[in-house]
Amino acid sequence: MTIDLSQWHPIASSSDLPLRHVYQAQLHGREFAVWRADDQYVNVWENRCLHRGVRLSVGLNDGKELKCLYHGWRYSNRSAGCTYIPAHPADAPARTICNRTYPGVEEKGLVWSAVDPAGDFELPEVLKGCDPLVLRPIPLNAAPGLALSRLADLKLEGGTSRQIASTGSYSHLAFDGLDLPELVLFVQPVDAHRCVLRGVLKAVPADPAGTLRQFNTALNRLRTLIEAAAAEAPAPEPIAVDFRPIDEELASMPEISRSGPKAELRVTVARKWETSEGVAAFRLEPLSGALPTFQPGAHIDVHLPNGMARQYSITNGPGEGGHYTIAVKREPDSRGGSECLHNAVQTGDVLAISAPRNNFPLRRDAVKVTLVAGGIGITPMLAMARALDAQGIAFELHYFAQSKAHLSFPELLNELGDSVVTHLGLNPAETSAKLNEILADYGFARHLYICGPGPMLEATRDVAAKQGWPDEAVHFEYFKNTQEIDDSSTFEVALARSAMTLQVPAGKTILEVLQENGIEAPSSCEQGACGTCLATVIEGEPDHQDVYLTPTEKAAGDKIITCVSRSKSNRLVLDI
Amino acid sequence: MKLYDYELSGNCYKIRLMLSILRVGYETQTIDFYPGAEHKSDWFLEINPLGQLPVIEDEGRVLRDAQAILTYLAVKHDNSSQWYPASEPARLGEVAQWLAFADGITGTASAARLHDGLFYDLDVEAARKGAHRLFRILDEHLWFAEQQGQDWICSGDHPTIADIACFPYVALSEEGGISRQDYPAIRRWMDRVKRIRGFVGMSGVFPASPAADGSAQTAA
Repeated sequence: MTIDLSQWHPIASSSDLPLRHVYQAQLHGREFAVWRADDQYVNVWENRCLHRGVRLSVGLNDGKELKCLYHGWRYSNRSAGCTYIPAHPADAPARTICNRTYPGVEEKGLVWSAVDPAGDFELPEVLKGCDPLVLRPIPLNAAPGLALSRLADLKLEGGTSRQIASTGSYSHLAFDGLDLPELVLFVQPVDAHRCVLRGVLKAVPADPAGTLRQFNTALNRLRTLIEAAAAEAPAPEPIAVDFRPIDEELASMPEISRSGPKAELRVTVARKWETSEGVAAFRLEPLSGALPTFQPGAHIDVHLPNGMARQYSITNGPGEGGHYTIAVKREPDSRGGSECLHNAVQTGDVLAISAPRNNFPLRRDAVKVTLVAGGIGITPMLAMARALDAQGIAFELHYFAQSKAHLSFPELLNELGDSVVTHLGLNPAETSAKLNEILADYGFARHLYICGPGPMLEATRDVAAKQGWPDEAVHFEYFKNTQEIDDSSTFEVALARSAMTLQVPAGKTILEVLQENGIEAPSSCEQGACGTCLATVIEGEPDHQDVYLTPTEKAAGDKIITCVSRSKSNRLVLDI
Repeated sequence: MKLYDYELSGNCYKIRLMLSILRVGYETQTIDFYPGAEHKSDWFLEINPLGQLPVIEDEGRVLRDAQAILTYLAVKHDNSSQWYPASEPARLGEVAQWLAFADGITGTASAARLHDGLFYDLDVEAARKGAHRLFRILDEHLWFAEQQGQDWICSGDHPTIADIACFPYVALSEEGGISRQDYPAIRRWMDRVKRIRGFVGMSGVFPASPAADGSAQTAA
């Protein structure tokens, strides 16, 4: 029998996929891990963790992500991208770490898939318009072709079976003399010598429970017949499966990415609404296909109709892959990004955005996490809180806002229950007192994440330092860099990997000089807040002017934010 | 109470699992089953002339055989009489029937695992074939139980010692080269067993993810 990898086959019954379960399927020798997320999306993945090849069908479905049982790598619902690697708790996994996926379509009580489909799924004509009853699947140790040739031998007591039609994947049978619906009996080609009989009755009979038993008995007898026939000849060798070799991109040194903010995705504004006083929320959905994997703390660059590019944090919970939802505060004094989003951008508009980038990763190796959000700083904190909640890690989200009307995403905050504590209408002194209370009990493996306006962020960091929180336990993200940048120095930058030496004059940034000289250097906010343009310093003394690096990182002197920081030494050697 | 125990034995694990679910404290004495074959030593044969694990000592009594010990523990420690429904003849009959079935699983799936893992000299193909035959029967039984809204091997809304007796060597079958891919109803039942409050694993048996209602362990 020739193998047609483009053909769609049923690989599971819908009832095989209860929530929080991982089903093990196989088609033409390829093993699948099949799991239903809490949002009902059916994931069909290659049954192999990218890390050490362990079957994902023994992994854990937490409703949003699938966690490999071996080293705990987490993969997101829908995109199958890796969201967390426990052995590297402080790092955001590269977006290229993504499981191989297969299509999955749920229709007529069955889950359908194909190894290499030629087009979209189309329900076999014979099942269209029917109200089906799916029979118990019967796995058998026989070649799919042999099984297909014997389906007409199905016998029900008290009647005769009549084959109406037969194709390369199913047989359509009727039962004369019995008051039973017609049966469509599919053969799922599992491997060269194994298959599963999946029967669908074209209507629900009068006695469903009895009929299920009746057909189960008949199919068991048919299985005995077919397996006896199969045993007469030697079993064919299992289908040799070529595992897709690892992407060139993953196996080699990554290219330095293209200069400047990126705009590789197109999304439509599916919904725009006022989520709180002066804050507009935007639900962005892909024009076609799926969106790349995001992690809590990640942001996207949004390119606006007025030509500006701005960074916004993704608020989504884990596994919520069908959209990115962001929120924008109206800032009349800002550079114009928020005005444009509030006034010009409407539901139905198409925007260019970058893929998510995560410079604010969330560690899970914590006994308790404290999240402090000020105003619109709630956005990354919400994504983090929802991930911690889903993964059962103890946390508190302290949300400072002017008033109840200023609390964004109240419906999502409610879902988080008692873990959310709001602090409304506090003045700076009261805020400081409250922070002293919140941060009083630093202990082992506690982590603090802060996002909010500059003064509040500074205050929180000061309180944390005074209360004994070590630098490495305090993680923060500024909206913007409000420090005055001193760009009066001149110095030389040597690029070790590119074998180039460049002069940086006063009034120009390292990043600008790199880009003018044809060096591809990624950037996003270009004001020293987001961390995208970070480079490694091999030699020389950086003159840090950013708000991204922690004091410890700045003191170590081996990293530099090239869009604002400069050099104290005459020469700076970078690993670029 | 003392349990003569070997960490890698599925039959000893049955007892540890039951004791954990019933929240009963106990001490263990480790028997060097492999490679020491301490269960065949003179001193142990005096305790259990069959030379098998597990054995318990409780209030001066010695009791052998995993299924017998499960029965004893359930009746002694489960005041609700759910794990061993002694006053319900129909369900009790079912429990006894599936306890015997569990012995069949030990004779096949566990034997294949002893061959692959501890180098026992036996007909492993026959053992695997026998296990597949039993797994087909169990999968069919559990599939039709699900159709009637029943989660467990025996009828009723509560698991019984039959679930505990059948679980370990089903869960360890892949260590004997017996795939469970063809038994989806068994795989779903395993998730349910793993969500029983008080569930503990062993080497090769891992916990399940929390149930959709957010509780780590729901039933019982």
